[in-house]
Amino acid sequence: MTSSGGDDGREGAHSYGGAAGPEALAPLRVVAILGDRAEAGWHRRLHAIEHAGAVEIVEVPAADLRRHRFRARSMCGREVIVDLPRDVFLFDGAVLYAEPDLALVLRVEAEIWLRLHPLDAAAALELGYHAGNLHWRVRFDGDDLLVAAETKAADYLARVAPLLDEGRVRHVG
Amino acid sequence: MTVHDLNGARGAARVGIGGPVGSGKTALLEALLPCLLARGVNVAVITNDLVTHEDAERLRRSGIIAPERVLAVEAGACPHTVIREDPTLNIEAADRLDRSFPGLELILIESGGDNLASTFSLDLVDYWLFVIDVAGGDDIPRKRGPGVLRCDVLVINKTDLAPHVGVDLDRMFAEARAVRDGRIVVGTSCRHGRGVETVADLLCHDVLFRDMSHPDVPIRDAAAELTRAETS
Repeated sequence: MTSSGGDDGREGAHSYGGAAGPEALAPLRVVAILGDRAEAGWHRRLHAIEHAGAVEIVEVPAADLRRHRFRARSMCGREVIVDLPRDVFLFDGAVLYAEPDLALVLRVEAEIWLRLHPLDAAAALELGYHAGNLHWRVRFDGDDLLVAAETKAADYLARVAPLLDEGRVRHVG
Repeated sequence: MTVHDLNGARGAARVGIGGPVGSGKTALLEALLPCLLARGVNVAVITNDLVTHEDAERLRRSGIIAPERVLAVEAGACPHTVIREDPTLNIEAADRLDRSFPGLELILIESGGDNLASTFSLDLVDYWLFVIDVAGGDDIPRKRGPGVLRCDVLVINKTDLAPHVGVDLDRMFAEARAVRDGRIVVGTSCRHGRGVETVADLLCHDVLFRDMSHPDVPIRDAAAELTRAETS
């Protein structure tokens, strides 16, 4: 089997954030959340560390906030091992590490929301049925249904292609 | 504090194994467990069946793992309901294993056979595998089922059967990688042990952080900082 066929080879890597840089930064294991960047005390403390250019951001997709164990990379390329207790959950702005020479802060990647507009009540009922049946995460905004795209947008639109093709639902953003 | 100590204090990593009926989930477990045990991983298993304990009994009788380390959850309904919509039964079973076996590092949770839409809740697992098989048809990745798209590792099992069922294995892998945006795809032939060590490597690296226990790897542990923050 060739490497491209991958009969027993590892194909790709599971990672978040920026790529590893040429310099090997010391990996860091996160076993607790220290605080919230938005809190005044932490804001001041991080601001001071920022002056030293030592605040690193770790970006994760919103869909992965429920994870407790994974490997990530800070935007600077540092490997971060997230290993949290089961009753601790990540959130945007979570302070993962803080020393005078280095701080790590979690940032949630901007989510992509598909905006679908049903043209009448019958189309809305059918669209709502599909969204529930497909276990999509949704929000309501006036007459529109917003769908969180956790994979490619095309994967979601393909599931309601007949409604879109018939013009009964419009993808408006 | 070592990795082993830390895992003992905070519970074992929980890894789901899902996939269609007959794809080889139990066969993967039977092949994977000896690999993990040989590496010294302290492991236990939860099996899910529809209305029986068939898979749990099969594992208990196998002699691969101590019978008391295998718990059974009876879904009683669609298997995905107990791994996604309401995973309470499986969470309770996993908690019970954590309490019963101090130092437990890894709990493998096998779903009952389901369809391509089956996914695990991250409230239940830290990481999950989805097992499909060559004999099920090489068009499965193209169908873009949520299980295929969202799992951490897609396992394509029964690769040895490809020439017998007219499957172009290279194309099947290429299409699987394409729909998963290059995320991990591993080929296995569980009956012959092929590819199983790769799956074990992934678990040891991605959720057990085995390489991080190496004494040469410097770790700046945030827990010490937390203690300082709480006392300052």
